Amino acid sequence: MFKPLALGIAISAAAMAFATPTLADYPERNIQGTIQWGAGGATDNVARSLTPHVEEILDTTVVLTNRPGGTGVIGMNHVMRQRPDGYNLLYGAENPQLYQLMGLADFSYDDMHTVNIIGQGLVVIAAPADSPYDSFKDVLEAAKENPGTLRMGGTGAGGLPSTVHAMVNAVDELDVRTVTFGGDGPGITALLGGHIDFMPLSLAAAKEQILGGQLKGLAVLTQNELESLPGVPPITDALPDIGSFLPWGPFWGVFAHEDTPDDIKATLEGAYEQAVNNEEFQDFLRNFGAEPLNLNGDEAQQYLDNWQSVTAWSMYEAGAVETSPEKLGIPRP
Amino acid sequence: MSDTISYLLMAWLDPQLLALTAIGTLAGIYVGAIPGLSVTMAASILISFTFSWDVNHALALIVGIYCGGVYGGSRTAILLNIPGAPSAVVTAFDGYPLAQQGEAGRAIGLSTVMSVIGGLFGTLILASTAPVLSDLALQFAPRDYFLIAVMGLLLVSTLSGKSLARGIFSVALGGIIGLVGMDPVTAQGRFTMGSIDLMGGIHYVVVMIGLFGVAEAFYQLHFLSKEPVRQKVDKIIPAFSMVLKYLPLSLRTGVIGVIVGALPGTGGDIASLFAYDHAKRTVKNPSKPFGQGAYEGLVAPETANNAAVGGAYVPMLTLGMPGDAVTAIIIGALVIHGLNPGPMLMIETPHIFWFTVGNLVLANIFLLIFGLTGIKIFTKVVELPKALLIPLILVLCVVGTYSLNSNMTEVYWMLGFGILGYFLKIFGFQMGPIILGVILGPLLDETYRQAMSSVGDSVSAFLLALVTNPLSLILTSVIVLVLLGNTPVKGWVVGQFQRSQ
Repeated sequence: MFKPLALGIAISAAAMAFATPTLADYPERNIQGTIQWGAGGATDNVARSLTPHVEEILDTTVVLTNRPGGTGVIGMNHVMRQRPDGYNLLYGAENPQLYQLMGLADFSYDDMHTVNIIGQGLVVIAAPADSPYDSFKDVLEAAKENPGTLRMGGTGAGGLPSTVHAMVNAVDELDVRTVTFGGDGPGITALLGGHIDFMPLSLAAAKEQILGGQLKGLAVLTQNELESLPGVPPITDALPDIGSFLPWGPFWGVFAHEDTPDDIKATLEGAYEQAVNNEEFQDFLRNFGAEPLNLNGDEAQQYLDNWQSVTAWSMYEAGAVETSPEKLGIPRP
Repeated sequence: MSDTISYLLMAWLDPQLLALTAIGTLAGIYVGAIPGLSVTMAASILISFTFSWDVNHALALIVGIYCGGVYGGSRTAILLNIPGAPSAVVTAFDGYPLAQQGEAGRAIGLSTVMSVIGGLFGTLILASTAPVLSDLALQFAPRDYFLIAVMGLLLVSTLSGKSLARGIFSVALGGIIGLVGMDPVTAQGRFTMGSIDLMGGIHYVVVMIGLFGVAEAFYQLHFLSKEPVRQKVDKIIPAFSMVLKYLPLSLRTGVIGVIVGALPGTGGDIASLFAYDHAKRTVKNPSKPFGQGAYEGLVAPETANNAAVGGAYVPMLTLGMPGDAVTAIIIGALVIHGLNPGPMLMIETPHIFWFTVGNLVLANIFLLIFGLTGIKIFTKVVELPKALLIPLILVLCVVGTYSLNSNMTEVYWMLGFGILGYFLKIFGFQMGPIILGVILGPLLDETYRQAMSSVGDSVSAFLLALVTNPLSLILTSVIVLVLLGNTPVKGWVVGQFQRSQ
């Protein structure tokens, strides 16, 4: 049933391509947006907040579907296997930049066209409100006194906490037990119950708990204190050397098939740039604990390369992965 | 105080909100009744749909869908032996036999009333003790979740039917199915055989739809010539005396539902399993033997899974932490609408809390109305000719599975499990224990590793923690007592006790 339909679409699309080579009418039908993470997560929230503005600009409907699983491999693989006609977009997070290093898949964002890097999430290291540690420096000292006893919350290999842990280990030493949770949410729940001692978290997930006094912010992963989180010192106070990795954080972007026609790429880039700039969406991002980036073209590529190189090399130097980034052609930062 | 009351009655007095709650509840019943169309999915679609709406309107609709959906799963469980949602798996055990005895109408009527009692009970607990209950939920360490999962494993004796050996085999099979996918700690593939499509694991709803939906449809082919059972539809609304008789059981299972629902990480599916087990252990003289149409077997799970809805809202409204998949999506909706779900939510926007409480009560009232009115037409489903019914079930199974993650591979898996389930059924295996394994396998894996890494991978420290922490000690004792209660030790202890008197 699906095949004749697909064939029909392909034939009509081909006929259209001959009739109007410029494809000036794009988009003439609904666009499918695939979110590589589950409903209710950060990527999902960003995608669902941004998309209504894009729909207004392109005057079409973007049908959003969550295709979670395998750290986003399944969703990305799906979009890469669709026709390169601009009607299938991927809403993704930072994870694909580490797929090759982690051996999860043999592709990365280099194999897709970047429509827009929407923004970057900030990172905070948090502890329970009644924790004996007041800053990340205290944690480092305690970990040196009793190596391998503090409990750090993690989200598995390649997750945000493991990357932050690797960065710290690349410039200092942090020997702790890692307790793995299904995500920021379950991790925060364990922090609130005092079942772990500290955890690196996305600010979007932890901000309300810190402002509400349920969690204590030990450090933010930035060079300077954040306006939105007063009183939480930047991590460079405890570890000046980590500054060379910063700014670093999880990011969200929109991607299309690499072979999409150039004029459609341009249309999409224009539309998403305008949508991300929308006042309402900018307010959402800031309230969400994220920095707007709104990058496309060379700037976006540069951002992606830099992110990949900083993360991959710090993980390799800290011994978190065995594959050398050099083998994958990832240059040193 | 007057503020609280005005927030509570917001959904009752605003005609738009009232209508949205009603529409949501009605839609939820049908979403829940169709295997694979899940509340989680409906809620996430609604988020995009309601983006430009006022946040209260969106919440009213989702509350309705949530309450209706949890209840709706019981409909198809009773009528067709196909649970529409994971939390209705046990409802089929006694509901379907009732339908075969021509009592489908009464079974649906009773489960409706009990669902509403459960839902209202859960809401009452939410309104009165939310902060206390969320503090209690936070006390559960990874090792306590591990103990709950072990307690869940013990349910195999309740779910196995005649052969315990077959039941244990089924749980183990389910456990292995549940472990397929990416290892949560090392990010390496487990049983994926290099396939990208298997990286995300096999969703337990896929297994459920295959084992219950498709396998049941195939199994029904054996009885093509059998006349459909004529359904009695005169006594649908249960007598007041009947409701009163089962009220104590429904309140006990309501407590189970609220607590299991409030724990982030366990929800209505596990709550209904525990409730059914509780009923089977404590009710000495059920209306009919369990598994052959005992009313108690309907009352327990149906009260518990609807009470779990109120429970799931507890951590969400007090801490901004999801109690289950649906509340995770509601949190997402609040974020998109510019609210800040977190510990300050109740202080900064108290109306959200009381509005939700009032709305839950309203949704349960609509549930009672819609649940008791459409039954006559609904029971006709069972009287449909098999030639219509079986293809219809198969189509719904495929549509439902595809709509889960829009992944065609999952549809093939679902059909594969359907064929497997058909043969297992023929050889006397029960489907319940497989689902139990699929749900508990990953939970055991995750929580055991969390508990072990918390104590530095020392087995002795882990075992010590099980008996030194008060909460863990209670859970450990329950497990030990249940185990001993099924061995000759129990007879010996009882004997000694009687002799000493």
